[in-house]
Amino acid sequence: MSAIEIPIGLMSPADDGLPAGEVISRTRRHIPLTVIIPGSFLGLLILAAIFAPLVAPDGPLAGSIADRLQGVGSPGHLLGTDGQGRDILSRLIWGARPSLLEGIVPVAIAGTIGTVLGMVASLGGRRMHTLIMRTLDVFYSFPAVLLAIALAAALGAGVVSDIVALSIVLIAPIARVAETEVSRLRSSDFMEAAKASGASWPTIAGRQVLPNIAPTLLVYCTALIGLAIVFAGGLSFLGLGIAPPQAEWGSMLNDLNQDLYNAPVLTLIPALMIFVTSIAFNILGDGLRDLLDTHSETGQ
Amino acid sequence: MERFIGRRLLICIPTLIGVTIVVFITIKIIPGNPVASLAGINSTAAVRAAITHRLGLDQPWPVQYFDWIRSTLQGNLGTSISRQVAVRPLVFSALSNTFILAGAGAVVAFVGGTLLGLWGALRHRHRDGSVADSVAALTVAAPQYSVALVLLVVLTVNITAFPSGGMYNSSGGGGLPALLDHLILPAIAVGLAPLGVIARIFRSSLIDVMNQEFVTSLRARGLSRGAVLRHAIHNTLPSLFTVAGLQIGFLLGGALFVEILFTWPGIGQLIFQSISARDYPVIEACSLVLAVAFVLLNVIIDVGHALVDPRVRQ
Repeated sequence: MSAIEIPIGLMSPADDGLPAGEVISRTRRHIPLTVIIPGSFLGLLILAAIFAPLVAPDGPLAGSIADRLQGVGSPGHLLGTDGQGRDILSRLIWGARPSLLEGIVPVAIAGTIGTVLGMVASLGGRRMHTLIMRTLDVFYSFPAVLLAIALAAALGAGVVSDIVALSIVLIAPIARVAETEVSRLRSSDFMEAAKASGASWPTIAGRQVLPNIAPTLLVYCTALIGLAIVFAGGLSFLGLGIAPPQAEWGSMLNDLNQDLYNAPVLTLIPALMIFVTSIAFNILGDGLRDLLDTHSETGQ
Repeated sequence: MERFIGRRLLICIPTLIGVTIVVFITIKIIPGNPVASLAGINSTAAVRAAITHRLGLDQPWPVQYFDWIRSTLQGNLGTSISRQVAVRPLVFSALSNTFILAGAGAVVAFVGGTLLGLWGALRHRHRDGSVADSVAALTVAAPQYSVALVLLVVLTVNITAFPSGGMYNSSGGGGLPALLDHLILPAIAVGLAPLGVIARIFRSSLIDVMNQEFVTSLRARGLSRGAVLRHAIHNTLPSLFTVAGLQIGFLLGGALFVEILFTWPGIGQLIFQSISARDYPVIEACSLVLAVAFVLLNVIIDVGHALVDPRVRQ
């Protein structure tokens, strides 16, 4: 259950751990392994999710109770079967659909709203800034997990309500990062020039600010997807996710957890799936930061 | 310092008001009718109207909000629908259990995180330093419920080295030794990811500080390695405090999931049971109490921050 706060930490320029100068001196850009490896893993995962009917050995609901709790590597069931005899590998592949959706869609929604809010707060004058940032502070004063649980419980179980709940939770941190980034730009020469040339602030926001903050936000949001997947898994694990017979990593965890003492290793499979996917997004975020070299202008 | 604390507490008030509004609205958008569930399926319209009136649900929202705030301030958090007992003792005993777990998780995170970060920073040009970094990076992304499951599978199901759940022995309680025995695994599960975060921040800010000129000048004056390190670490405390503040939400949030897996009788388990029972007064009270506790804990962290870093007080 990574916290929303982590990626902010990961984002901090000092986190490179490199002494000043090393980052700047790097001139040639080659695609780092930290982009290639998680990128190809996630690419394959997304393809498998899209083409689940072709890739998965079985349907997500197919199985007979007679075959229940087959071990890993048993014939016909590479990753074993769950308490109702359903093939775990197939359910993992089918389950990737809602699980990835619940990770990517909320970040996309919150990324859009949060970026707009952050830019408006930073450029729209003092009163606007106070109004937006103080309102966001309220959302910050809930532990993120609690807010997600409370909202998802209020909206009723289901993929859509999970997506809505996670979007609301993620808006505040994204808006904060956007606001910080825009404020860093505000005093730069090109902004002064744009203002002096008489451009309206929505024009400045769209033409000057957005292209400049986009790399940082892209890196931040990539890492946040990993977090959203963990949160979504947690919500389904609590019974707030997709309706029961359907496959979803968090709800598989819940199912298999009930047979923890009969087949302990099987329970770990969806847990590891969530972990590996989430860490892949985190590493990809780190790699993108190196690739796009955000923050190198600070010299840290 | 007193002025700083006073100002910090004043800033809390609008935040706390905002928190109550969010909790209130969340409860109001919940689908399902509490009156119908209280009155039963076969109740007449008159009975329902009477219950609606008794609960004050026929009032406009702002009136309901202020009624709710007034009774909350008087310490009345309502009655649990599924258990038919007062919510307040239920929530507060669960909250104290959650604090025990999150506190133990914080100890794991802080002690482990500073040691791992120290190792990574002091050996950052060596291979074993990068091992420390990789460990930290891996733990950061580990979902606390996954860690909890791994610990459960490895250390309680396969080898019964630790109890698999609960807070005390089922017979006789067992006092503090039993509590600690039950606490170790869930505390590790809660603390592992924050441990990674603290390690990463501590490492990078220590490397940063060690590259500053004052460290060179301390070395030039012939201070021992340990003494130099002590000065350097003191300068990393502000950033450590910032992370610590952010990690509180994380520890509390993680505890919610870990509690369910380890059947720890805390807020997380209470919320989990209340969600399945549609016991909204309990969910509402849990969210409110946890959010208020979170706001106040952040004040404490900020005050600690100001104590180690006088610049913050301005």
